[in-house]
Parts: sequence; structure tokens; C-alpha cells
Amino acid sequence: MRFFDPHIHVTSRTTDDLERMAAAGVRAIIEPAFWVGQPRTTAGSFVDYFASLLGWERFRAAQFGIAHYCAIGLNSKEANNESLAREVLELLPRFALKEGVVAIGEIGFDEITAAEERAYVAQVQLAREHDMVVMVHSPHRDKKRGIRRSLDIARELGFPMEKLVIDHNNEETVAGTLEAGAWAAFTIYPHTKMGSERMLEIVKKYGPERVIVDSSADWGVSDPLAVPRTAKLMLERGIAPEVVERVTWQNALEAYGQSGQIDAEALLCKPAIDQRQLFADNSVLRGQEPRVEGGVPN
Amino acid sequence: MTPFLLLRKLLEARLATSATSWFRASTKEIADGPTNARFCALFSQAARHVKHAPLSPAAAEVEAAERCIPGWNPERWDVLEAVRVGLVLARTDLAGDGGALALEEAFRYADEGELCALLRALGLVPGGERFLWRAREGCRSNMRSVYEAAALDTPYPALHFDDDAWRQCVIKCLFVGAPLWRLWRLDERLSPELARMALDLADERRSAGRPVPHELWLCLGPYGGARGLDALERELVPANPNRAGRCAAALAFARAGDTGRLARLEKDETDPAMREALARARAGDTGSLSFRHLAQLPS
Repeated sequence: MRFFDPHIHVTSRTTDDLERMAAAGVRAIIEPAFWVGQPRTTAGSFVDYFASLLGWERFRAAQFGIAHYCAIGLNSKEANNESLAREVLELLPRFALKEGVVAIGEIGFDEITAAEERAYVAQVQLAREHDMVVMVHSPHRDKKRGIRRSLDIARELGFPMEKLVIDHNNEETVAGTLEAGAWAAFTIYPHTKMGSERMLEIVKKYGPERVIVDSSADWGVSDPLAVPRTAKLMLERGIAPEVVERVTWQNALEAYGQSGQIDAEALLCKPAIDQRQLFADNSVLRGQEPRVEGGVPN
Repeated sequence: MTPFLLLRKLLEARLATSATSWFRASTKEIADGPTNARFCALFSQAARHVKHAPLSPAAAEVEAAERCIPGWNPERWDVLEAVRVGLVLARTDLAGDGGALALEEAFRYADEGELCALLRALGLVPGGERFLWRAREGCRSNMRSVYEAAALDTPYPALHFDDDAWRQCVIKCLFVGAPLWRLWRLDERLSPELARMALDLADERRSAGRPVPHELWLCLGPYGGARGLDALERELVPANPNRAGRCAAALAFARAGDTGRLARLEKDETDPAMREALARARAGDTGSLSFRHLAQLPS
């Protein structure tokens, strides 16, 4: 099977991970802009970070036959440094309109502060102006209220619900997200957020429509293979293959494909890996023989 | 014809009608002097109007480019890249500070595709030497696409790089696996120091049990000395499975002026690719362009 992991911070993952992801059938990924584990102190750090999502990380993923898209945005935690946040919000249009940017994200709430709300509003407006998709991060603490607030604000701003993806849902929030007409994404984490077993129950209960599975793998304990692993479990437990395909491939493609930045046909082709054509000898490959023979098994 | 007019002609023969109107409107807006932010936005948004595809210029168009700017070869350009270079050249203030500041701003926020287009443009803009640091950054990139845009099919390195920068650019080409024969005026800037760096790299590769890139032998010219000839002899041994390497070594003997060695080789050589390389060498076709035939050679 082929998989689309529409939320992974692959900048924090190694080439071993990329290799395992490709071997497990992960064909396309989205890397949303987030914080880097500790707060940045200058706008320049954001410029370089956004540039790396559009440059080096895309290049790196391509070495393994994985199509890399990204979302650009100011995350909720760092929205609380208001003077820096203002500078970053001003910078966003410089990056948000570039090739391969499929959404504004991940944005939303962390502590549900007024500063977070101002940054969220500004970014939803930016997305609306440019007819873009929005990827919303929902908070760990007071999740239900955070999601409700994110949905309400988007609605008040006249933002179309079919372009809104609410991420990190759980059993308590899924109904509200789906009823609002937004996409409901679920992050499969080894210990927290959502496990594969629980995901299985959610798909059984709510069906596959507008439901998306992702890994959100980052610099913490997380699993870059969460999407293929969850698919495997679903299939073993008797979920129909077309349902599994919807939640691990097709829905992400449809939601983020609204950006016009994803060439679905190209994704369906057998990915050509030609590290010989693309690699830099002293970077991604360090002296090992490049793989040129072809596709990613799936 | 100016590079801008030539590019416009090339593009209008290839773009869809809607993309052509967007390109015309954008170049007009740029000629009227937009803000730098607007210029950068148009530069980014080109991707929303034009898809990636090889530009595939005809032979006459490639010749026209060479006549226009010696060293400019758009053979490997991408259509989107060409559109973006067109947007740069549409500026009427490129020779002044305003144009330079706008390009600097575009460089600062460039993604990979934009960066490649800006680097390709550097060989075509007036006062290109003002962007020396950017071109050198491009030649330090580990992204082969970026390296190629900065270094190959453009007169820029030959015209503006000092000897240190030039040698680094040549050796980096071997590291990223880009085709060195496309580096303009390589043969005119060979040197004993470049030959030494290349031979050190060959030794490193051999010590590590790794193949020597065949284009490394382009770097010797007449400056390899006895050490160079020894290294070439090692490459030539019939047991060497790297056929491109053997052919390149034969051509390198010719480039070093050792025609006697070539005559001895011709006597009992059986590999058809080698025989072809030797015939080319005999005919005096030993410039860096002669290496273009070797890249596709199966080992």
C-alpha cells in the first residue's frame, strides 16, 4: 500500500527514518512549520527555518522517493512572544505563496491566550485572502475548548470549513470537528495523543469520511511509521481496505490537494529514486553506493 | 538581440496562452518598477502559472544564446526557470542599486527553484560581479540543482571567480556528480594547483576503494606531471571495470600531449568505446566537450 503522512516534522528525523518510511510505503508527506522544541528569539531564525522546509528538507526527502510538501505558519506557542510574532506574521506571505506550500499551518492554540488568538486570526485571514487550506494544531491542555474556539473563529471570519483541517483530535473532540464540516486529523503517538487501537475504534464508529491519520513525528518520542502501522492494524482487524486507504492516503490528498500544489498523478507513478542524480557526496550519502535501481516497494 | 528579448521569444513559442498573458503582464509591471515585495511575489507566483518542463531549445536557439552572451547555454533550462529569469531581466534598473537590492531580496527568501533561476540569471545581468558572494554560495551548495545553476552552462565562474574560487568550483562539481565538461572555459583555466587537487582526490578515492569520477581526468591538462601520468596509467589497466574512466584517461593522455602513449594503446585495444575515444584523440577532439560522450557509457 502507499501512504500519505500529512503531518510530520521530518527535519528532526534521520535518513534511517526516511529509508524506513519509504520502505513501508510512505510516498508523500507534509511538514508543517512548528516550534523547534524551544522558543526562537529572532525573526531570522524563522526565515532560515521556513527556507529549510522549502529547500533542504524537500530535497532530502526526494532522495528516498518521498514527495515533501510543507505548511507555513506561526505556531501557537511562539505567538506569545508578541513583538517577534508581529515580525514573523509580516514575513509569512514571503513563504506561504511558494511552490509546494499546501497550507497555512500548523497554527491554533496552546494556552488559548489573547496573543495566540490574534496570530490565529491574522493567519486565517491570510489563508482566506489567498484561497489556502489551514492546518490547525489543537492544544494538549483544554483541547475541547481550544478546538471549539478554532472552529468558531474560522466560521466568524467566513473561512470555508472544507479548507480547515483540525489536527490532534481524540474521542472527545471528533464529533464536534466533523459536525462543523472540517476535516478531523488524528495523530498516532506511542504514548499520548492517540494510539492505533483507539484510532481503529474511531474509524469503526465515525467511518472514513473527512478522517485523516498522521504521525506528527518530531524531535520527541514519536513514530515516523505511525501511518503504515495503523493501516496494518486496521487491515488485520477487518477494516475494509478502501476505508483504510481513505484515512491513510485519499483524504489527505483531497484535503491538501485543494491547494493546487499536489500533482496527484505524479504521486501515483512508481517513485524513481536516483540518488546518483541528486545526491551530494558529502551530505545525504556519505560514500555509500547510490541506489538507482528504482522504486519504493509497497 | 538582448537576453531578455531572446528569452521572451523562446518562451512565447512554448507557453500556454494564459501563461503567456501572465508573463507579459508581469514583465510590464516589473518594467514599471514595483516594490521589492511585489517583485518577489511575482517571482514566487510564477510557479502557479507555469509548470516545470524542460525548455528544450532548438539548436538554432542555443546558438543564438551563445551569440548573445558567450557561455550562456539554455539547453538544460527548465521552462519555469526561464520564466523567472525573464522576470529578472524585465527590470530596467538592473545596472543600478535598485535592481541589485531587489535581487538581493529575492535571494534572501528564495526556495530551491527560485534560487536556481536567480543563479542562472547572474550570468546574464549587467554588473554580475556585484553578486559574486551569491554565486559562490551557489557553488558551495549540496543540492546538485543549485550547484549546476550557479556553475554550469553560464559564463559566470570563468568571468568572475578568482583562482581559489574557480578551483573549488571545479572540484565541487566532481563531488556533486554534475557534468564538469559543461563548465565554460574549463580548459582555459587549468593549472598545476588544480591538477594537484584532482590527483589528491583520485588518491583518496583509490585508498577508500571507491571509483574515481572519470571527469576528474579533465582537471590535469598539461599540468599533471609524472604523478599525473602514473595516475592515468593506473586508470588505463584493462582490468579496470570503469570504462568511462579508461576512455577519459586515454583522452587525458592526449590532453597532456603524450601522443606516443596513444599510438601504443591503439595497437591492442579492443573495447569499442576506447577505440572511439582514441580515434577522437587522434583527430584532435580532446577539449573538455569531448568528455560529453563518456557520461552514458555503461561499465
